[in-house]
Amino acid sequence: MIIEASLPESGRLRSAARPARRAPLRLRIAPLAPGLKRLLLSWPFPLAILALWALAAHYEWIAPQVLPAPGVVAHTFADLARSGELFDNLKISLLRVLAGFAAGCAGGLVLGVAMGLSPVFKDYVYPLFRAVSQVPVLGWLPLLMLLLGIDETLKVVLIAKAALVPIAMNTYKGLENVPAQYVEVAKVFGLTRRQLLWKVVFPAALAPIWNGIRYGLTHAWLALVVVELLASSEGLGFMIVYGRQLFQLDLVLAAVVMVGIVGYLMDKGLALIETRLLRWRRVGF
Amino acid sequence: MPQAATLALKGLSKQYTVKDQSLAVLQNIDLTVNPGEFVSIVGSSGCGKSTLLRLIIGLELEHEGEILLDGTPITGTSLERGIVFQEHRLLPWLTVEQNVGLGLINAPITEAQKRRAVQEHIELVGLVGFEKALPYQLSGGMAQRVSIARALVNKPEILLLDEPFGALDALTRAHLQQELHRIWRREGITMILVTHDVEEAVFLGDKVVVMEPRPGRIRRIVPVDLPHPRDRAAYRFASVKEDVLREFGGEAPEDRLVAEEVQFPRDVRLSPNISFAL
Amino acid sequence: MNALASFTLGLPARLPKALRGWVLPLLLLLLWWAAIRFSWTDSKLLVSVGQVWDRAVEQTTSGALREGLQASLWRDLVGFAIGACVGLLFGAALGFSRLLENMVGPTFHTVKQISLFAWVPLISVWFGLGDSAKVAFLSLAAFFPVALNTFEGIRSVPREFIEVAQVFNLNRRQWLTKVVLPAASPSIFTGLHLGLIYAWLATLGAEYLLVAGKGIGNTMIDGRENFWMDLVVFGMIVVGAVGFTLNWIAGVVETRLLAWRGRAVAQY
Ligand SMILES: Nc1ncnc2c1ncn2[C@@H]1O[C@H](COP(=O)(O)OP(=O)(O)OP(=O)(O)O)[C@@H](O)[C@H]1O
Ligand SMILES: [Mg+2]
Repeated sequence: MIIEASLPESGRLRSAARPARRAPLRLRIAPLAPGLKRLLLSWPFPLAILALWALAAHYEWIAPQVLPAPGVVAHTFADLARSGELFDNLKISLLRVLAGFAAGCAGGLVLGVAMGLSPVFKDYVYPLFRAVSQVPVLGWLPLLMLLLGIDETLKVVLIAKAALVPIAMNTYKGLENVPAQYVEVAKVFGLTRRQLLWKVVFPAALAPIWNGIRYGLTHAWLALVVVELLASSEGLGFMIVYGRQLFQLDLVLAAVVMVGIVGYLMDKGLALIETRLLRWRRVGF
Repeated sequence: MPQAATLALKGLSKQYTVKDQSLAVLQNIDLTVNPGEFVSIVGSSGCGKSTLLRLIIGLELEHEGEILLDGTPITGTSLERGIVFQEHRLLPWLTVEQNVGLGLINAPITEAQKRRAVQEHIELVGLVGFEKALPYQLSGGMAQRVSIARALVNKPEILLLDEPFGALDALTRAHLQQELHRIWRREGITMILVTHDVEEAVFLGDKVVVMEPRPGRIRRIVPVDLPHPRDRAAYRFASVKEDVLREFGGEAPEDRLVAEEVQFPRDVRLSPNISFAL
Repeated sequence: MNALASFTLGLPARLPKALRGWVLPLLLLLLWWAAIRFSWTDSKLLVSVGQVWDRAVEQTTSGALREGLQASLWRDLVGFAIGACVGLLFGAALGFSRLLENMVGPTFHTVKQISLFAWVPLISVWFGLGDSAKVAFLSLAAFFPVALNTFEGIRSVPREFIEVAQVFNLNRRQWLTKVVLPAASPSIFTGLHLGLIYAWLATLGAEYLLVAGKGIGNTMIDGRENFWMDLVVFGMIVVGAVGFTLNWIAGVVETRLLAWRGRAVAQY
């Protein structure tokens, strides 16, 4: 399913408006060390939760099968890391995501560019594309399981589908919404069609396309975890299910932490690339 | 007729910090504006005119020097001081009527009185029939007129206008200049008008403040001792205009270029319209 | 972009615009029909349109569809409502208070990186396999996008508008209702819309992963386990239709309430 909406790009927060009635006094204090202040403020809350968790586990307010102590989880994590089990599974998961995402990304870009540049092609393909994308990834899963079985192909296809839809959609919309003025400027300067595409149209649509890619990767990761939870015998998702079946919550939590770390790193990496890629957009801020 | 206060700027300086570098925007501004006076301010782009108005209205509280109203320093915004921003700044979710009504939202008068005042001011700026329109349905000039109505509707004692007629056609512009002049005379409002149009400055002002950039300073204050109504074709009018224009000519042109380059974009951000799909 | 309309990729442009969209679906149907008619494969996975239709009739008349859909939708909406309310409050609190943002924000931004479905096994340990676990998971699914977009919406209210409020001395309540909330509303709506979509996705996921009880997801899983392709296809159509309807409702509400933006943002 699809929605179009104004989503903030990640840089927006930093340039966001400050609250209205700031006292002049605070302005003078703020530049002292805002980074340090933020760092100091951000730790007490997670540490308090961790402490609460540790206490709860220590005094067995909650049964260890339901919530193992943070120390145990850390220990399991370290064990898994040392034995290589964690990274083997991580590698498998990452390879799957990579394969699925690469396929979805390529397909999405081609489809999106074709629909964005050729209204005729769009007329033919868009309605079907729209209908197909109304069924979420998980709606496709049983069908694909029947058709493809439950091995690697299923995973890659599902992940590719998850990535393809937002990428194709954003690419198409981004190209379609390139302001006509830009194209007119290009015409005035007598650009060839190739120059028009590479110098004007694609750069102008880069921001929405990039947003699509970001969503594509997020969804690919989401799809990977689901499909590994449901139908896999390796990978991070499998570790979670496996731990759950054995009621080894420390194993579950360790794998969840790893899933979180990967998600976090992917997000940070994308944000980093974005600031490079779309630098021209931020010049003013 | 409200008795406006005397506005006095004494040694007013203002700097912004951009990327840890402090940028002097205004330096040592001395200016007295008497009650009921009309002061025009001209100066090249980026010389700090808008900043000066933001200081007077009370949106910028960090500065050196003093901003005094009858000897008392200002402490923030007040309904006694109104402003027409350089961009119209209509709230896009309110209709024309509601936007103008914003000026009266906390006025101690009845709803019926408010409605009447709003209607009068919409008429004043020539937008009858657009009461229920939303800002996106207006042209730039129309939106600017709504924001003029919004600033006038609560009859402030001091009205600051930041290039209010910039986006208007010559005819509407001349008409609104006349109207502004009429309101000024009738209501005795102190007005400070920032403009790029020297003729407009001379036509309306009791005096014209010419500013120069980097850092923004007052170059000269040109008195306009001409009786109203002023005749734009008259020789004396032309000679005052010449006088003001000559002050501009003295500036090195590259100053302007640089000043424009560091202009800080404060346009409302456009959030990119992106699509999202699962 | 009309300026680029000259790209046709060699496709027949003579066909009337309104008909072009039907070509591909009809071709697919034709292919489907031909595959059965000329028995290209004897896999029992290849079901005919008639079989799917029969299944649809059977599911509808027996009340199985209603039962499953009702269970799924009810959970979906309860979970969404809880998650959205908590998300709105949390996002608003973070948006209005810098201190809270500094203290809780980093944790929130970190935790939200955990892929949604990774929570399911944990939730199943904490809440069991029944409805409460599913609702808890759906709330979580709706919570993150709503909280995030509410927060960002409030934080990115243009300063220009805040200054207008200040110049006209709006009091706290007017400041909130006339300026901040309307300015943040597009983003808040985006959050709610995303929350709705994620909650629906999570509804399916929860039914697949926490296999107990009824629901449209369970129906599909049954179909898969028994190799009833017709049931699976029928389930997919229902799931797509529900997603479409949720999107459509959100879109209508959004265009109504945000008409002041002057352009249709959501189009379906
Ligand atoms: N918030 C800000 N932060 C940093 N610098 C600013 C800010 N606002 C204004 N400036 C700088 O202050 C200078 C004066 O800006 P100001 O808007 O007052 O100019 P202006 O005279 O009104 O120009 P114009 O005629 O183009 O409207 C400019 O160089 C600008 O870059
Ligand atoms: Mg200005």
